[in-house]
Amino acid sequence: MFSKISEFLTGGEKAVETSRNTVINLAEAETNTEYVIKEIKTDDEELKKFLFTLGCYEGETVTLISILAENYVINVKDSRYSIDKNLAEAIII
Amino acid sequence: MNNQETIRVALTGNPNSGKTTLFNAITGEIAHVGNWSGVTMDKKAGEIKENLNQGQAEVTAVDLPGAYSMSPFTSEENITKEFVKNEDPDVIINIVDATNLSRSLFFTTQLLELGIPVVVALNKSDLIAKKNIDLDREELSELLGCPVVNTVATKNQGLEDLVSAVHEVKAEEQAAPFEAGDVDLTDRSAVEAADKRRFEFVKSIIDKVETREVESNQQTIQDTVDRVVAHKWLGIPIFAVIMWAVFSLSQTHVGPLFADIFVGWIDQLNAGVASMLGDSVSPVLRAILLDGIIGGVGAVVGFLPLIMVLFFLLALLEDCGYMARVTVVMDRFFKKVGLSGRSIIPMIIGTGCAIPGVMATRTIKDKRQRRTTAMLTPFMPCGAKLPVIALFAGAFFNDAGWVGTTMYFLGIGIIIIGALIVRKITGDKSTRSPFIMELPEYRFPSIKRATKSMASRGKAFVIKAGTIILICNAAVQIMQTFNWQFEVVAEGAQSTSILASIASPFSILLIPLGFGAWQLAAAAITGFIAKENVVGTLAVVYSITNFINPEEFALVGDGTNVASVMGLTSVAALAYLVFNLFTPPCFAAIGAMNAELESKKWLWGAIGFQFSVGYIASFLTYQVGTLITTGSLGTGFLPGLIAVGAMMSVIVYFMTDEEEVQSEATVNA
Repeated sequence: MFSKISEFLTGGEKAVETSRNTVINLAEAETNTEYVIKEIKTDDEELKKFLFTLGCYEGETVTLISILAENYVINVKDSRYSIDKNLAEAIII
Repeated sequence: MNNQETIRVALTGNPNSGKTTLFNAITGEIAHVGNWSGVTMDKKAGEIKENLNQGQAEVTAVDLPGAYSMSPFTSEENITKEFVKNEDPDVIINIVDATNLSRSLFFTTQLLELGIPVVVALNKSDLIAKKNIDLDREELSELLGCPVVNTVATKNQGLEDLVSAVHEVKAEEQAAPFEAGDVDLTDRSAVEAADKRRFEFVKSIIDKVETREVESNQQTIQDTVDRVVAHKWLGIPIFAVIMWAVFSLSQTHVGPLFADIFVGWIDQLNAGVASMLGDSVSPVLRAILLDGIIGGVGAVVGFLPLIMVLFFLLALLEDCGYMARVTVVMDRFFKKVGLSGRSIIPMIIGTGCAIPGVMATRTIKDKRQRRTTAMLTPFMPCGAKLPVIALFAGAFFNDAGWVGTTMYFLGIGIIIIGALIVRKITGDKSTRSPFIMELPEYRFPSIKRATKSMASRGKAFVIKAGTIILICNAAVQIMQTFNWQFEVVAEGAQSTSILASIASPFSILLIPLGFGAWQLAAAAITGFIAKENVVGTLAVVYSITNFINPEEFALVGDGTNVASVMGLTSVAALAYLVFNLFTPPCFAAIGAMNAELESKKWLWGAIGFQFSVGYIASFLTYQVGTLITTGSLGTGFLPGLIAVGAMMSVIVYFMTDEEEVQSEATVNA
């Protein structure tokens, strides 16, 4: 039952993303798929450093758990984070 | 460190690993905790309880804000780094979330390099089994080269072992299992490479000590819950229903039950003191003591049960992990007005008290966002405003839960509109600051922790009532009793009193808002000293016997008595409530704003803005409300409209006059 509810809740947002073949960043990723981070693309060095301390840097894996409104829930190492779209776009996979 | 016998221990670890919970458990202190990141903003010291401490030396623990690494990203992380590096603690306790070693150990290896003995507290260790994780604690201890102790801070488990481990290592020299070596800190790529090696090292440890049956990136029921409570459309209604339930439980159902008994006690106290005084005491002194002090303070304290129920429920909400989701829900709306989800944290803290709320804005990096948040945070109804809400909900609206809920969301609405206006005024050149929030796991909230939190907040409330509010009420009673010639004001000539003559000029300004009585103006003015004073002063100026008698007391049944004494319509009462909630906060909170805004211009701008917002919101409530209920506009519509128009045009003037302000902004920046 839970999966049905969650399908209903996220269904609309997923459809848009699958039409593309080449996924560039995390904002375009599919949920429940493990990706390897290629690059963190941002001018903000401190942010990059901060993401690094969470274990979010090139070569590491990241999984998109769900998309909530304009926020992306991701799994890095063993934790869940909610990040905004800008940040998701900065994570190149 | 003048005392040789005292050992100083620093508590460090990632955000939400349970540092403050552990700190409270080992010291018996009651620092504020919550199941979300960033609750602790400053360091706090406490003595470790004797029954845990088997060694001879006393141990002082210092609780520090959470940090992910020694290279700080946020200012509270900086506090942690500075303390550990400069204050030279004797032992570091590194609290590690046992379910999240792969991230936490990065910081651990950095701490191990400092040469200070480290003890790792493997906290939340009860969750390891639940999540089917197999962890070899002894091997971990060997690989790290420091003691590793299993703890469950929420259940007081493993604390004795932890303290004795501290005694064991206190004099030892800590060896580092991983040395970054001589890294040129100015060379960015060299630092990055060293940090990557550190993470590789952590991974090699994890591979040896941890086996997981279920990978953490699998969907769980928790994720499904997130999808519902943080849903695009459902998120806000769910939040509204939860807040309504909180207010309705405390205001309509459980609160009045206790308040009934409580107010009866205060009544008895009043009668007891009255009979003790007898008839020999002068009527003036009698009035100051009975009406001013016991009556006024009693009216405020009468709301204590109701507020404690509310605090209890809010603590449960914080403890279960829901608040982190609220920031996600609100982020979208706050972004549109130039703030971010980060700004919500100060506001949630501000529901307890605006002062720590305003102080919490320090975590916001962007200066404009930080200032905007600091000036808007006081719009959240704080703990001191709750008795005011409760009084009006009781006296005029039959204890309805919607009054508090509406005020809560009106506060949020005003904040969003306010942020929009501030963005317009300062000109939108915002660097869109990234938003990242760790989503902690939901857990069943602890009744014990909520009770403790409720007790400490209740205690603070009573202390305030017994000091500042007591003095204010006595002063109000004296000012009401005497005129400027210091003669006792005659019966029926109350308007000649000192209090009336001070408050009357202000009350003229309030006529367009529906409450142009000097008594109400006086109450609003004393509210700037402390918002609870609004209740206390109303009790004093309208003669407390009406308030204190359980049969007539607003809270416990028929509120019409209070309503008729004040001579307000329900609409005007609501307008008065709005006025008290959304004009500037108490002086102490303004002081906190002054510290965080770091600019006199912003401070006066903020106060002027808050006053205008309160006035306009109150004006609209009264005039529109009156139009709807009676079909015609309320008194003083035209002058009020002119006043509101003047305030709005000043705001609009600043909003459109971007060039000048922008150049000023660059000077400020």
